[in-house]
Amino acid sequence: MPILDTKDVTKQFGGLVAVNQVSMTVNKNEIVGIIGPNGAGKTSFINALTGIYKPSGGQIFFQGKDITGFPAYKIAKQGIARTFQNLRVFSNISVLENVLIGAHCRIDNPFHHIFLRPLRSKKIERQAYAKVIALLKNVGLEEKKESLAKNLSYGEQRTLEICRALASDPELLILDEPCAGMNSAEMDTLADFVKKLRDEGQTIVVIEHNMCFIMAVSDRIIVMTEGAKFREGTPAEIRNDLEVQKVYLGEQEVE
Amino acid sequence: MMMGSGKRKWLLLGGLTICLLLVPMLVTDIYILSILNMMIIYSILCLGLNLILGFTGLLSLGHAAFYGIGAYTTAILMTRYNFGFGSAFFASAVLALLVGIIIAIPTRKVRGDYFCLITLAFGEIFRLVATAWIEFTRGAMGIVRIPMPKIFGIPIATETDFYYLGLGILIFTYLTIKAITDTRYGRAFIAIREDELAADTMGINTAIYKIMAFSIGCLFAGMAGSFLAVYQTVVTPSNFRLEESCLMIIMVIVGGMGRNLLAPLAGVVVMTVATEVFRSVADYRMLIIGLIMILVLLLRPQGIFGSSSFKS
Amino acid sequence: MLGEVILVGVMVGAVYALVTVGYSMVYGILKLMNFAHGDVYIFGTLVCLTLLTKYNLHPVLAILIAAIVGGGLASLVELLVYRRLRAEQHRLISMITALGAAYVIQNITELNWGNQVMFFPSIVKSKFINFWGLQISVTHIITLFVAVLCIAVLILFMRYSRYGKAIDCVSQDMDAASLMGIPINRIVSSVYFMGGLLGVIGGVLYSSSYNAVSLGMGFRGTLVAFTAAVIGGIGSLGGALLGGMILGLSENLIGVYISSSYRDPLMYSLLIIMLLVKPTGILGSSDQAKV
Repeated sequence: MPILDTKDVTKQFGGLVAVNQVSMTVNKNEIVGIIGPNGAGKTSFINALTGIYKPSGGQIFFQGKDITGFPAYKIAKQGIARTFQNLRVFSNISVLENVLIGAHCRIDNPFHHIFLRPLRSKKIERQAYAKVIALLKNVGLEEKKESLAKNLSYGEQRTLEICRALASDPELLILDEPCAGMNSAEMDTLADFVKKLRDEGQTIVVIEHNMCFIMAVSDRIIVMTEGAKFREGTPAEIRNDLEVQKVYLGEQEVE
Repeated sequence: MMMGSGKRKWLLLGGLTICLLLVPMLVTDIYILSILNMMIIYSILCLGLNLILGFTGLLSLGHAAFYGIGAYTTAILMTRYNFGFGSAFFASAVLALLVGIIIAIPTRKVRGDYFCLITLAFGEIFRLVATAWIEFTRGAMGIVRIPMPKIFGIPIATETDFYYLGLGILIFTYLTIKAITDTRYGRAFIAIREDELAADTMGINTAIYKIMAFSIGCLFAGMAGSFLAVYQTVVTPSNFRLEESCLMIIMVIVGGMGRNLLAPLAGVVVMTVATEVFRSVADYRMLIIGLIMILVLLLRPQGIFGSSSFKS
Repeated sequence: MLGEVILVGVMVGAVYALVTVGYSMVYGILKLMNFAHGDVYIFGTLVCLTLLTKYNLHPVLAILIAAIVGGGLASLVELLVYRRLRAEQHRLISMITALGAAYVIQNITELNWGNQVMFFPSIVKSKFINFWGLQISVTHIITLFVAVLCIAVLILFMRYSRYGKAIDCVSQDMDAASLMGIPINRIVSSVYFMGGLLGVIGGVLYSSSYNAVSLGMGFRGTLVAFTAAVIGGIGSLGGALLGGMILGLSENLIGVYISSSYRDPLMYSLLIIMLLVKPTGILGSSDQAKV
């Protein structure tokens, strides 16, 4: 059974159809890439998936459960974590706190425990802290855990955002244009990192503009244009599809 | 944050507490004690406001109204219904909490500047009602002759007694807010302040957390009001004007908002001392407060003692 | 009776609209709740009072000078305080700073004029004329006329002058406007100037038709502007007019038929209800956040 299954997901803004009946599936432990020219509705589609927009039509099933129209926080609890196209780290607080906030919905600490079972509450917070430290070590940000997020380099902030998303132990991780603003060396590092996550069992959806990156990491690629799904296939199939080249590469130089 | 340097911080806090406990043995001047007592009241108010403003990033211009709700509840219950201080105090806190929830629920989704206007309007409505509803609140005359409180049979009569009672409430407030903010709840509040939408996608039910932060802040304002009522033995609507709400905001900002709970308290001390020093030039009071406000925000928006700010 | 009440309501509404327009324009450009707006216009109104009573200036001249003083004060506050916060700060910070500025202006006003209610002379001889069976005060007619004239001039200015178009551009997108070579600082400054100017004219008209002025009217004026702007649709010129009218009319009807002590609670309730039910106002369009 696929982990994510969307059926004819549609999002309209007034008369504008941003996402037009997109159906797709994501299986466990695979990387699905979504590409398409600017304005193809990739981000709108992801926003509809993660509850930032309410879909105007269609259904979304996550691990067999109908989550259509759930608010964003509930979808996050179900196990979908995401990053944003234009970095949204919490800039004025420490790296550590950023990631701890990412773990929010996995810290099972009911409010009354703070007063009625303070020791248990402290223990749970400490466990979360240990987990987050391990995660930071894993991505190489442990030394910077006390610095404010805004003082990190751009690349580090990108990593932090992914790390924050991972802190919620997501079943599905959605990366929205993770390479925006990166140079090719940074991109290679990121590609390795994403593949490593997949090898550790993570399921990932990547939206990207950059052909090279998406070809390198994806197991399967979905091409979107004008809000609708246009093609789906393996990287090799997509690469050799003449119509995709026309639609997509017509706009961007072949790399 | 919560580990590591924590030990030294607790040591510091312990030392500070002992010093505060010893103060009345060294200071016998009634005037100074009365200033200390007002500082205690503002400290309780500002700790609550810091939760709303400093952590969650909600600018409430109606904090004085919740302070007033607490004060009037205690005043009315004690003068008219023969409540003891303990139960009146409890009722004041709970009522402020409930009204806080009632205000926070419909406003949970409005934008920041609209929230500010709604709380401002609520604060003014509270004051107008307290002035106009003469049968219940005795209008502008206020409620007078609020009886002397007793705690476990011990009467609280002198400035020193009130100092210890107030300090007790302050320490309780500090520890409660510290305990809440050291957990995922405090972090969720900060996440909302930093980026509400991102907080939402982290699984934080932002509406609930905003209601929570706001109403808990109001709860402590209710406690401060209750203490004010028995301390002053008089409450009048003019105790709870918009200026009071503004003064609290200034105190929190001058000290520094957010994680460091001692910073807003430092702000209370600075602003109280400043207003006392400038008492002789009372005509210029607002000018001075306004200038301090502008200068701090222009030159050091994180506050004198704060480390982080909203500055992006 | 009802006819007169409505007419007075329309007059008050037009004056409110004048006070609101300036505030709303500032909001449209900077998204800043200018808490000092009311205090600026009361300052100007009191300047006018002094010019009228102490120096016996001709009313038109006195209003002109006072309006320019008010406009100047508004842009001075912008220059000294708000400008420094414009680019980088969290919105709350500039709002609180605006509160501080309001305090300072209030205190300066109080030092000069005190905080009691003062008599404000009528600009024109008060007499009543009979108009289709309605007893109408000439003061009200002239007040209404002047307010409508100012608003009409403003609308023409905004629509047809280069400056007006530049202001529109800046409020749509400040960065893009800046790239197009529009001098942002000058535009913002002049919007504050116009806001203060119109506010003072509104304040003088209001005070002279009620023959009273006091410091407290400043804070109330700020709230009038907030409420009217929110009712009509904050940031839009038409919204300010509509909101001012609605507020003025409803206030006057309630004041006459129920009790004038419900005026302020009515205003606050209208403000709260509008913000909860339709924060974008009657004419405002919703702004969807971009993700």
